[in-house]
Amino acid sequence: MDSPTVCCARNRWTPSRRIHRRGGVVVIQSVGRASMILKALGSGAGRLGVTELAERLGLAKATVYGLVRTLEIEGLVEQDPETGKYRLGAAMLALGNAFLANNQLRTRSLVWSESLASRVGEAVRVGVLNGPNVLIVHHVFRPDNSVQILEVGASIPWNACALGKAFVAYLRADERGELLAGPLPRLTGQTLTDPQLLEVALQETVRTGYAVEDQEAIVGEAEIAAAVFDHAGAPVGAISVVGPVERVLPDGPPPNLAAAVKEVARGLSRDLGAGRAGVRSG
Amino acid sequence: MSTVDTADGRAAKLDRLFVLRWIQECAASLEAEREYLTQLDAAIGDADHGVNMDRGMRAARAKVRSMDAEPAGSLLEAVGATLILTVGGAAGPLYGTAFQQAGRSLHGCSTFDALDLLSALSAGLQGVQRLGAASEGDKTIVDAFAPALSAFRRGLMGGGSLASATTRAREAAEVGMRATTPLQARKGRASYLGPRSIGHQDPGATSTALLFAALERAAGELDS
Repeated sequence: MDSPTVCCARNRWTPSRRIHRRGGVVVIQSVGRASMILKALGSGAGRLGVTELAERLGLAKATVYGLVRTLEIEGLVEQDPETGKYRLGAAMLALGNAFLANNQLRTRSLVWSESLASRVGEAVRVGVLNGPNVLIVHHVFRPDNSVQILEVGASIPWNACALGKAFVAYLRADERGELLAGPLPRLTGQTLTDPQLLEVALQETVRTGYAVEDQEAIVGEAEIAAAVFDHAGAPVGAISVVGPVERVLPDGPPPNLAAAVKEVARGLSRDLGAGRAGVRSG
Repeated sequence: MSTVDTADGRAAKLDRLFVLRWIQECAASLEAEREYLTQLDAAIGDADHGVNMDRGMRAARAKVRSMDAEPAGSLLEAVGATLILTVGGAAGPLYGTAFQQAGRSLHGCSTFDALDLLSALSAGLQGVQRLGAASEGDKTIVDAFAPALSAFRRGLMGGGSLASATTRAREAAEVGMRATTPLQARKGRASYLGPRSIGHQDPGATSTALLFAALERAAGELDS
């Protein structure tokens, strides 16, 4: 919204109002609104009627109706035959999978993470930095046949997990400073939210080559992570072992666990073209 | 035991038998609701809350039954220690701390009154909040625990019996529990899901409401 004219252009559209500029980029209003509908259907219980969508998004019902019907034709949205409400369509899953398949780090990490999980007997996660959060792009369950929920797609504040700290430790100083300036949400009583303490943790990460998280995201859970680098030596993601604190950090990080995580991260980095000299890890 | 709990709950005399009854009611309730809790947890957690809590409370019940002479506070501390050891995930440390802090607050007294019980439970809530950094509205245990204690306090201060105050506490816990459904989780594994956590009742708030229902039944037995 860059001008008041655009804001109140709900009822009488003119071409100049439907296409406007935001941050120097041409923004097509209907595409923006269709995206808002998909995001609304992707949150919460997931089934919304035209009226509910119109109220949530502050749009006219006729506008919403036209948009959802178009999305329905494209398979991105489905109508529940019983209630008449709309939900995300099957085509969304194909798009989500395509996103994951296009993530080179994830594709490369499939075999590495599987072998790490079976070697250490704990769950393994691979994450990339997405704004101030770590987006989990791959998750291998703890190999003990227990019920576990797939965390792919989960978003965790970088300061609350080892994956985030491992990644941020190797960012350029200006990028690191921006992330340290916040926001730094607190997820448990142990989450580090003081930029100075976090800076110390990041320095320690660079010194040892791995990051540690002790019940800073979830009470009772701990994680050890190491960064993965590209051919230019820049961090592209991180890989971790995560599990019950009494096993992952019985009395500080067990040397074999930290070594296993570092070794796999180095292997992955080499797969992605990082030369031995190019890898900034210790 | 049962003679004094009439008009004013603050005069009720409680002891280790009351704690034993409460823990037995907790164990029975978590066994009965195991599948329900697991089902709730499958939507936004690790699908193990029911199984974990059932196992933990069963072990806690066995533990306190084996303790012959220890006072109420020691029983509660033992419950906490057992839960930490036997319940996986975040629930073990959180509920374990709650019972441990509650037990410590009773200072080894052989008898205590309803206000002591209130202080003990408040110490438990503080322990949970220290560990988990959760406030009301974060979609956690606290959303049932905090309103239950406020209602319990109001019930006692209003001069109600212990039984009626625990009924109000249970009702408030259930209201808080149901109110977690439209919330977006800001703590725990569910918070990883972002807006997808909306529309599901929190399993932790639900198990807390069950523990307050068990407390109500234990207090009800005093009157009968």
